[in-house]
Order: sequence, then C-alpha cells, then structure tokens
Amino acid sequence: MKHGAGDAFPDLDLPDHTGRARTLSEVMGGDPAALIFSRGWWCPKEQRYLRELTTLQDEFEVAYTRLVVVSVDAPETQAAFRAGLGARFTFLSDAERRWLPKLGLLEETDTLHHPYRPTVFTLFPDLRVHRAYDGYWYWGRPTMEDLRQDMRAISREVREGFSA
Amino acid sequence: MTDDLPAGAAHLAFDGDDLHAGAGPGRPFMIDGRCLAGEPVRGAFAHVCALADPEAGLEYDHPEVQQVRRDALAWWIPMLGDSLICITTLALDEARYGGAITVTRGPFDFAQDPFARIFAGTLVRTDLLCEVAPPAGPVIERYAGVAWPGGSFG
Repeated sequence: MKHGAGDAFPDLDLPDHTGRARTLSEVMGGDPAALIFSRGWWCPKEQRYLRELTTLQDEFEVAYTRLVVVSVDAPETQAAFRAGLGARFTFLSDAERRWLPKLGLLEETDTLHHPYRPTVFTLFPDLRVHRAYDGYWYWGRPTMEDLRQDMRAISREVREGFSA
Repeated sequence: MTDDLPAGAAHLAFDGDDLHAGAGPGRPFMIDGRCLAGEPVRGAFAHVCALADPEAGLEYDHPEVQQVRRDALAWWIPMLGDSLICITTLALDEARYGGAITVTRGPFDFAQDPFARIFAGTLVRTDLLCEVAPPAGPVIERYAGVAWPGGSFG
C-alpha cells in the first residue's frame, strides 16, 4: 500500500455519482473522513460492507465527519447503487481508472473488472492518513466500531474543546 | 432575526413574490453566503419554500427539518442533476429554520421538493444567485450557525 499513517493522501479529482466534477478536499469540506475504495456494485462483499456503512451514516451526519466511496463504476451505476443502499454520502467514479494506478490499488486478481483493491483510509481534514486498512480479505476492513474509534481519535486532535 | 451574520452567511429577503439581496424589502433570512458570492446566473428558477409571515419558523433540530435535509442529500439533489445551481436553507437565527431555496437553470418538477413539506413553495425568477457545488453529505448539521449546507470548521 502506497499510503500509510502520516502520509499526505492525494486530492483526488473525480466525477461524483451525479457526474459532477469534484475533488476529495471539496467533498470532505474540512472534516475528518473515511475514504472507502470499493470494488464495485457487483461484488457481494462490497454490497454487504456498504450496506453496513450506510447504517453508520446516521452517526456521521451529526458528527461533522464524512464518508466517501470510490469505485470504478460509472456515475450512473453508482447513483443507482447509492439509491438502492439509501446512502446520503458521496460516491466518486474512477471509471476511467485515472487514479487507480497512481494510488497503486489495482486488484490484480480480478482480470474482468480491473477494480480497486478494497482499501479504507481514515483521513484528517488536511488529507493526512490516520490509518489504512487493506480489505482484500473481508476481515481486513475496518468494522463500524473501528471507524468510530478513528473518527474519535481524529476529532480529538482537530476539534477545539474536545477534551480527553 | 439577528443582525450579526456568522462567517460564511449572507442576507437574503423574500417578500412573498420576489427575492432581494440584503435584509429587505420583505422578510429577511440568513443563507449560505456562497450562493451570493459568485457570478449570478441570469433568469434562474428559484423554488422558495418559505413564507413571508414572520412567525413561520421551526427549530433546525425538529425531526422533520432534519429529515428534509436527509432527503435533499439522498435523492432531491441527485434528481436535479446538472440543472441545480445552488441550494440553501433559510436561517432565522442560530437555531431556527425559516425555509429553503432550490435554484435551477430551468423549470423543474418542484412539486417533489422535499422542503415544500414544511413551508409551501413559490416559484420565483431571479438574477441574484450563483452556482455552488452541492453538499456532499452525509452531514446535515450546521457549522457554527451558518444556514445548511454552508460553513465549515476547516
């Protein structure tokens, strides 16, 4: 994995699920974030993980923290998948696989879809990596509790008045 | 309504028929200031879900006011697509919601506007408001009192 704890994550520029050009820093809006690289809608593991992630959005929405999903699905596919999940967070589309090689996150064992290797980064508002998770094997992914703990740790560091 | 604007906020007034930059004429609101900060889009369609009645307001924390913001993120903004110019709620003060405005390039099926569930919508032509990237979600809370989706702690 190219990016680990303490590294600056690149400010991705990709279309969102509506096709609108976005940057990662723009969709994070100065908040901590969980950045999820996902294979795509077709993968049962991704469907399972994103369903659970969608349950966590109820906490993220009141906690000044963001969820961002990146996959190689086209924006219109992401929009349909997002609607089916009931998600209210942003999907970014790298259907052209522009960032995939730069990030070194190609899942080499899937020669049909050439997707992202499932990977999660928890990020500070300035895009520094707090923690990276290799989710190629499902149990390598952060649990919802892991994400809560990471958001707590980042928020403790960046939010005024967050006492230990 | 408070005269002191939080950073990132701006005044916009609605007289029941038209929008006016500033605190009047009409009922003054605080909006996401980015909506007035750029090059205005001429002839835009603004669906103003607010009333001129100065008593019409609810707490931002009211469950239905939270829910319409969730609906905006989930399906209203995606449905508007490229037609969307900007969207802002209308704050009365640091705690109270007075409505919302969805601004588009052309006429739309505004009957579906989730914000109209709270205060009925009026369609207004306007040259005042500019393009702002839609909120990314999932945050529905406000930042230091700025009308959602404006503001940030960054």
